[in-house]
Amino acid sequence: MTAYLLRRTGQAVVVVIGVMVLTFALIHFEPGSAARATLGTRATAERIAVFNAANGLNRPLPAQFVTFVKQALQGDFGTSYSLHQPVSALIAQRLPRDALLLGLSILLALAVAVPMGVYQAVRRDSAADHVLTVVAFTLYSMPDFFFGLLLVALFSVQLHILPSQAPQAVSVGGILADPRGLVLPVVTLTLVSLAGFSRYVRSSAISTLAQDYVLVARAKGLAESQVLRRHVLRNSLLPVVTILGLTAPAIVTGAVIAESVFNYPGMGLLFYQAATSKDYPVLLASTLVVGVATVVGSLLADVAYGILDPRIRYDRD
Amino acid sequence: MPLLDVRHLTTRITTGRGTVRAVEDVSFTLEAGETLGLVGESGCGKSMTGLSLMGLLPPGGGIAPGSSVRLDGRELVGLPARELRRVRGNDIAMVFQDPMTSLDPTKTIGRQIAEPVLLHQRCSRAAARERAVEALGLVGLPQPRRRLDDYPHQLSGGQRQRALIAMALANEPRVLIADEPTTALDVTVQAQILALLASVRARLGMAMILITHDMGVTAGNIDRVYVMYAGRIAESAGTDRFFHDMRHPYSQRLLASVPRLDQDPLGELPTIPGLPPDLLDPPAGCRFAERCPYATQRCRTEEPVLRGEHGHKFACWHPVRGPVPVAAPRRAPADATAPGPGTATTGDEMSATLPAKRAVSARGPGQPARAGGPLPATTTAVERDEPAPAAGVPLLEARDLVREYPVRGARLPGRARRVVHAVSGVSFSLAQGETFGLVGESGCGKSTLGRLLVGLDRPDAGTVALDGTDLGSLRGRALRRRRRDLHMVFQDPFSSLDPRMRVGAILREPLQIHSVGTAGEQRARAAELMAEVGLPERGLDLFPHEFSGGQRQRIGLARALALTPRVIVADEPVSALDVSVRAQVLNLMKRLQAAHGLSYVVISHDLAVVRHLADRIGVMYLGRLVETGSAEDVCERPAHPYTAGLLAAVPVPDPAAERAKRGHAPSGEPPDPVAPPSGCRFRTRCPLAQARCADEEPAPRAFGPGHAAACHFPLRAPLPEQPDAAGVVPQVPTK
Repeated sequence: MTAYLLRRTGQAVVVVIGVMVLTFALIHFEPGSAARATLGTRATAERIAVFNAANGLNRPLPAQFVTFVKQALQGDFGTSYSLHQPVSALIAQRLPRDALLLGLSILLALAVAVPMGVYQAVRRDSAADHVLTVVAFTLYSMPDFFFGLLLVALFSVQLHILPSQAPQAVSVGGILADPRGLVLPVVTLTLVSLAGFSRYVRSSAISTLAQDYVLVARAKGLAESQVLRRHVLRNSLLPVVTILGLTAPAIVTGAVIAESVFNYPGMGLLFYQAATSKDYPVLLASTLVVGVATVVGSLLADVAYGILDPRIRYDRD
Repeated sequence: MPLLDVRHLTTRITTGRGTVRAVEDVSFTLEAGETLGLVGESGCGKSMTGLSLMGLLPPGGGIAPGSSVRLDGRELVGLPARELRRVRGNDIAMVFQDPMTSLDPTKTIGRQIAEPVLLHQRCSRAAARERAVEALGLVGLPQPRRRLDDYPHQLSGGQRQRALIAMALANEPRVLIADEPTTALDVTVQAQILALLASVRARLGMAMILITHDMGVTAGNIDRVYVMYAGRIAESAGTDRFFHDMRHPYSQRLLASVPRLDQDPLGELPTIPGLPPDLLDPPAGCRFAERCPYATQRCRTEEPVLRGEHGHKFACWHPVRGPVPVAAPRRAPADATAPGPGTATTGDEMSATLPAKRAVSARGPGQPARAGGPLPATTTAVERDEPAPAAGVPLLEARDLVREYPVRGARLPGRARRVVHAVSGVSFSLAQGETFGLVGESGCGKSTLGRLLVGLDRPDAGTVALDGTDLGSLRGRALRRRRRDLHMVFQDPFSSLDPRMRVGAILREPLQIHSVGTAGEQRARAAELMAEVGLPERGLDLFPHEFSGGQRQRIGLARALALTPRVIVADEPVSALDVSVRAQVLNLMKRLQAAHGLSYVVISHDLAVVRHLADRIGVMYLGRLVETGSAEDVCERPAHPYTAGLLAAVPVPDPAAERAKRGHAPSGEPPDPVAPPSGCRFRTRCPLAQARCADEEPAPRAFGPGHAAACHFPLRAPLPEQPDAAGVVPQVPTK
């Protein structure tokens, strides 16, 4: 396992470097410049020159890249052009907020989707299965901003039960002090990912139920609930682990739309604003975060797979 | 009072398409210590009968009123689910067909075996675990305690089936239902598992229901036979009585259509035309009437009652008397020099009348490509059926073939690369119009060898030569052209045809790849191929899933024939097929061979199938050819102990022959091909092995013309050493 982890970590480093080179190149080959975007279209040539010199943008690209990597390795991602704050501070502030929002909604979605999918598989083609299928597809096809607004209209505007805005506290502790504000955004995101997960669980459980070992389990005299718990559940969740690993990066990339609907500034909005204003330091740092998260997510999925499925053993030698 | 008393058991399954009448009015009784056999082809209700007894019907399934299943006098039909669960896995247990899929891959076998113990007996986890150890010991798994924490994938197929039997036996059930328990296993392991079931039955005083399609298994392992057809009992009798005096035409045909070792392999196998009826809407009258040669009007209107006396009952208006007589193999005198004359003659006669027409029409006019190619003249169409060149160059020759696959996984520095020794120095040759049969247990390298022969895989050493040209020396276009002469038929007729291509497209594809003929000619050729394998032309517009398994295998054959190859390598061509369909496909293969002068390499684990088709047989063990010779020599006068063991393991559909069997199937299973034993690779399982076998690798020695075996202590005296015979497999005798 150790050798496997080392090898995968090596691969991960290569992938992250690749991501950085690619983002760096893309940003700089795009038409327009950071100076114009930051200073406005009327900025004079001198001001642009000063801006470029101050931010090192007049140096050759490879040199800029080397500087960026050097500083990044020390945790210094520069200062945002538009927000005038250190990028590392911006991310340190926003990342936990997203991790809380999306982590909670993914966990909740799983908690509902797994029993729902298994239930549908067991009652395959029954009326209940069809109803749940329709519900899942409706949720899946509904845009999340629309869904969010719908919830706000109902619970905040009509019923006045829940706040329409997410908590504005900066720290996670502050947010948790008043969790009511989190309810609507979490519910919105949960319902959106619930649909996908439940479909995966359903189809995976259907194929597990058709396995010979399920019949063997019944032939032992196990009750149906025991068969499901002991032999169907774990085997049906195996393929879901891969999907989960691919979903993990969302925890740090944030959800632009939900963030803007509920006014919950997180990584998604940060990235969006940086992209429109050509805020190079923020763009580079966020891409790096996403790259790392993706690589770590799939690595975790593979490791989890190895733990859950005894047939997969890394480094059997 | 019988232990198990089943009366008028009727099971129906409601599906979206209607009600399937899966089991109809089945009655039998079973005493403790007795083995009852439910025998028949797939889809005839055997498994469904077993599942009905367990109360394990699929969704929509139900047992009809009037049915009764009594265990020790206690009625099980209509028992509340809770009560029935207490019977399942406790009083009645079941073993299923496929050990590879019947164990939960994520749980250790110890936990899985202890599970029914914990469920049915009030005991601690530790006690259940102890019981699992005992059960594993009972089924003969070595070092059971150490095996407890193994996961299923760490066990071989035979070991897994032992674990599943242990699981069924853990609570010492009174009735064990074994549903095709050895069908997915090698013939050697089959013999071991059947012996195991018989011994635990005797030791525990259990009653057993053995569900099987195999007449050989029936003859050797069952006390009373119940033949099922289309959900009904067609005939029931004591096993000896059944095999000597069967009365139902279905029983007779079922037995006759099985190729067997003790039978003259020259004739066509009797077949059962058609397929079993659809149980959604079974025909009125006798359900077998449609396929029965003796059927009359009465059979089609009036349902025959199961009647008879002395415990022998049959449901037929026109019963037959006993089995079709078996044509005994022609026994040549013991010192015969020539192989049996039969197959070759039949082939020659046929090809003398057919070849020119066939070959010309097969080529068609629009096929100029080959004439300009660099191929020797002998491969052109018209000359194709002439005997092989006088120079004695065999059509296909394998020399010292070696294929090794690296073991997957990380390679630690400083450690040698580990390889699977799939094929280790195999040589043999194939003459025009001849069939070479390759037999051996799974994992012996026979499929790899087949792939090497047709060029789907390249050898690490050694050569495959077609007409004296080394295939390994050819590249690109020349190789592709050569490939036209070599085709393959695969085992699984379901996965070897692209499900999204129509049959017409499947048959035209090889012609398109090699740009043979115009589009019109290709279509005509496809229609011709369909006729040749006995399928209607309209089938060209259908998709593979619209055909039955046997029909798909015919399509596979037609595809292999499309480019009029000279050699067809058939890897387990009939092992996925039902008994009666198997006979049809075997007959078809023989007919096609005779019509086209084809040469076959038939790969199979089933010695009887190979015996039926092959002129010569090669026995493979762990990558080596341990014995080669004429089919008759190998089957009647084996020299290698492994061959003899394989022969002993094959169940013969004759109870007397089964009882009289001498010799034993090899014990255990083949060792790991990553680290094959030194010297003779078979020595670890050989009853005759001595120290020399470990030290020295036996060289092939001649035991007769064309008969060679590599063994230090052969079962027969080898021919005196001749200077040129040492060290090589002797050449094929020319026929």
